[in-house]
Amino acid sequence: MDVLTIQNLNKNFGRKKVLCGLELSVPEHSIFGFIGKNGAGKTTTMKAILGLIKWDSGAIYVRGEKVHFGQTSTNRYIGYLPDVPEFYSYLTTTEYLTLCGNLCGMSKADIATRSTELLELVGLGQEKHRIKGFSRGMKQRLGIAQALLHRPKLLICDEPTSALDPAGRKEILDILLAAKEQTTVLFSTHILSDVERICTEAAFLNDGKIAMQGTIAELRSKRSSNGFLIEIGKKEAADTLIEAFCELERTEEHVLVFHGDENRFFDLMQFISRNRIPIQRMERIEPTLESLFLEVTK
Amino acid sequence: MKALLALMKKEYLEAARTGKLLLLILLFVLFGIMNPAIAKLTPWMMEMLSQSMTESGLIVTEVQVDALTSWTQFFKNLPIALIAFVLIFSDRFTKEYKSGTLLLVLTKGLPRYKVVLAKAVLLLSLWTVGYGICFAITYGYNAYFWDNGIANHLFFSVAIWWLFGVWIVCLIVLFSSLLQNSTSVSLCTGGTVLLAYLLRIIPQVKAYSPTVLLNTNALLTGVEETDAYRKAIALAASLCIVCVAVSIPVMNKKQL
Repeated sequence: MDVLTIQNLNKNFGRKKVLCGLELSVPEHSIFGFIGKNGAGKTTTMKAILGLIKWDSGAIYVRGEKVHFGQTSTNRYIGYLPDVPEFYSYLTTTEYLTLCGNLCGMSKADIATRSTELLELVGLGQEKHRIKGFSRGMKQRLGIAQALLHRPKLLICDEPTSALDPAGRKEILDILLAAKEQTTVLFSTHILSDVERICTEAAFLNDGKIAMQGTIAELRSKRSSNGFLIEIGKKEAADTLIEAFCELERTEEHVLVFHGDENRFFDLMQFISRNRIPIQRMERIEPTLESLFLEVTK
Repeated sequence: MKALLALMKKEYLEAARTGKLLLLILLFVLFGIMNPAIAKLTPWMMEMLSQSMTESGLIVTEVQVDALTSWTQFFKNLPIALIAFVLIFSDRFTKEYKSGTLLLVLTKGLPRYKVVLAKAVLLLSLWTVGYGICFAITYGYNAYFWDNGIANHLFFSVAIWWLFGVWIVCLIVLFSSLLQNSTSVSLCTGGTVLLAYLLRIIPQVKAYSPTVLLNTNALLTGVEETDAYRKAIALAASLCIVCVAVSIPVMNKKQL
């Protein structure tokens, strides 16, 4: 079952088209990477899902319930972590989570156990000070705790790792990975290594619509191989090959990359075999998310 | 109800921990003491100035002060206290829009009207408590030095001025739901009061202007009777309800 479905979503800011017929579905218990360049419309989409901004046309459903702009009851299923979460700085972490719990209608005992559990999970269990002096990383971690407090069915994180150092990023990704057991995670990012590391599915947003969507393996398989890498023992042999095949490109002295169709590749193999050219290494170049992203956003 | 109470608790905690509550109390205590103090010190100040005034041809006779002098001072100082109140608390909503703290609260599925109500209750109670402190101090000193009985319709005057303050609070709530920054909220609140004041030049609407509620001197001295304020009271009270009621749908459709 899809926890989130977006149908033909359109949004303009003045004359600028931000979302043009965006279609998206997020299956339950996935970690869904929402990938796009800066300004691609990721935050706009997320704010629309939360009913915070008005969209021009289209429909959004969270667990089958329609989302309405402004006051929307679907937010009870959602936990939200904005890119720069801001808290009431005069409260302590426990006070803040108690406030959030009360706003969600949780029981006193449940708030207490859940707060302790989540603060431990995000590494803020020992933090008794007010939020005022918190670093950005600490705020992100508290942001995740508040978002998970009411056991949401969908956790929406807007670029949770963009402004963090590598250690902070790893911590946040580990927490999101752990959260997968309890909820579905939709997180926007432009850091592709984060997606490759934790996501089960991903979608590329380009020019206001989804250019590609699927599991990470599916996405990779949607693009045929980017070619073959051939490492040759002798430089002279490499020269001979380059002269014979225009599809070959030299990247290093002994390394050639083949970009061409299958028939030409078999011709190349025949040529190598006939001329007994010593090969040290030959491998298919797998498309990376980065190459896909660049191709999609070209 | 639980969510509303939690929000209200947060509002009071914010007022207390950010020092605004203390500032408000100090302000109203200061104004409360100032009213009888000025009245008490007036004869002494006149005496000090009498010599220089005599030289310039003005003869100062004995100055009589009583509770009425102090109450006149009380109602003269109140607008300054109310302006200070508006300036201190006009950012209750806008600060949250700017910082984004409201986003996390609203994305918990909290109905937006509860945010409006919690903040309106906070502002109303702070105004009532501050005003009450100021009144109690002036009343106490006046009773000690003079006799409060000299002022006609004292409690009625105090009540209608409080109502005027409540109208201002409701205007803050309305403009805060419409606008994005506290300066605009303060300016629009001030502008509305000015408009209400200017409307008094039209004879047909004069009696309805909420600014009529500020004219307490005529009541204290017995020039006017309470009946003259009925229309202004009715309109001010209705406007208060309208302001808060309009704020809710406006807030519901606010892009954040």
